[in-house]
Amino acid sequence: MVVTMKINIKNVSHTYDIEVLHDLTFNLEGKKAVALLGQSGSGKSTLLRMMAGLEKPTKGEITVNDLKVDNPDYKDYVGFVFQFHNLFPHLTLERNISLILEKTRGIEKEKAKKTAVDNLSFLGLGDQVHKLPKNVSGGQAQRASIARALSMNPDIIFLDEPTSSLDPILTDDVLSAVEDLRDSGKDFVFVTHVLSFVRDFADYIVFMHEGNIVEHGDTSILDNPKSEAMQSYMNKVR
Amino acid sequence: MATLPSESSARRQINKYVSYFASVLLILGFLLLVIQRQRTPLDFTRLSGFLGLFRQGFVNTIIVSVIALIGSMITGFILYLMTKSKVQFFRAFSDVFTEVIYGTPLLVMIMVNAYLIGPAFNIFNRPVMGVLAIIVYITPYMSNIYKSAFSAITEEQYMAMDLFRFTPTQKYAYIIFPQVVRILTPPLMNNFSLIIKGSALLNVLSFRELFYSYRIFQSDTFQTSVGLIFMWGLYIIITIPLSQFIRYFERRWSLQ
Repeated sequence: MVVTMKINIKNVSHTYDIEVLHDLTFNLEGKKAVALLGQSGSGKSTLLRMMAGLEKPTKGEITVNDLKVDNPDYKDYVGFVFQFHNLFPHLTLERNISLILEKTRGIEKEKAKKTAVDNLSFLGLGDQVHKLPKNVSGGQAQRASIARALSMNPDIIFLDEPTSSLDPILTDDVLSAVEDLRDSGKDFVFVTHVLSFVRDFADYIVFMHEGNIVEHGDTSILDNPKSEAMQSYMNKVR
Repeated sequence: MATLPSESSARRQINKYVSYFASVLLILGFLLLVIQRQRTPLDFTRLSGFLGLFRQGFVNTIIVSVIALIGSMITGFILYLMTKSKVQFFRAFSDVFTEVIYGTPLLVMIMVNAYLIGPAFNIFNRPVMGVLAIIVYITPYMSNIYKSAFSAITEEQYMAMDLFRFTPTQKYAYIIFPQVVRILTPPLMNNFSLIIKGSALLNVLSFRELFYSYRIFQSDTFQTSVGLIFMWGLYIIITIPLSQFIRYFERRWSLQ
């Protein structure tokens, strides 16, 4: 895979009961951390899941780093952090990572375990590795979920509102953990409403409204929104 | 509070045990009072010649309950699949069937099965029809258990399994099945307890389970009180450890 992130979205539409994405065409190259912003229902989470290959668009095509996202091999290059941590509840934090490495990546048991513990420790969970998700805080579980994404050694990590279920202190806790990954060599695409984090971490902003990309550009567009939709969003989130 | 946390928690623990002990004593005391107030004296020695009879009843109760449990696990799963079916008729049928069962007392179900439905198809084996009645009766409850167990595995978990490229076999072996077993076991054991208690009604078909043993003992010795207490105790010996096991399992293995 190439070193810099490259996303090509071509004529993508998506329909659940109603159309939530309207014929999107959009290209990005060479960014490290892209923030998708927009109100609930703007289609940003749907687009994120599609870029990660978790959902298929009704129409159109998405390629990321020159690989079609419906190519099964693409999944090996993708990490995903869900809104609610989405760890497997019957497995310890360590096992949530090592099981996957062992069974689906063919890594031997000891090495898988070491990778899991190393990554959990990196996210400040070194003393929690043997706990079940139910026995740690929401913030810790979400950090473990980031460790899990990291352990798969992906090129890109997608984060879908990773802090929406957390209180402000835990939100800070998780987002600063993400910021620590800045130099990890990974690229990031994320959905969030926490603007301070966007300002610190993102190098590109994509603003969506009612299934369309309305504005995009570097972080300076946060201070000078052109469209009415983004102005109104910025006023609400601020 | 002035007390240290550990101290107060130890005190709470002691308080708890004392309360439980007192409750057991209270119930035993009430039972003793009832026994003491009987007009005819209780002669527990009369049990001696009937222990084999009670043992047979006890064993039959357990055998019949295990058969009904396994049977209703199967029929309940079929009903669950019907509630999930894409075919409208199956969903409608499962609804109607469930409503009919919910509206029927178990005793009526047993009688209807043994004396109405069975004979219509030339089946006069009443114990078999009785067990079938229990199976049919428990089926919707089993279906509900499956429903809650499988719904506990969220769409996001399936997404994650896909993302990590689990094969279908791996999904079931490592993620779905281990969770379903943990969620399923406590309500399943609860239903087992329901079945054991419900099976007492099979005595109306002269099936030789535990209650029927009591009836024989009573008619031979006229020691109603002795028979009732002994039979009651035998039911409790199975059902209370069962419910304790359920609680332990929930504490130890619950995922929430």
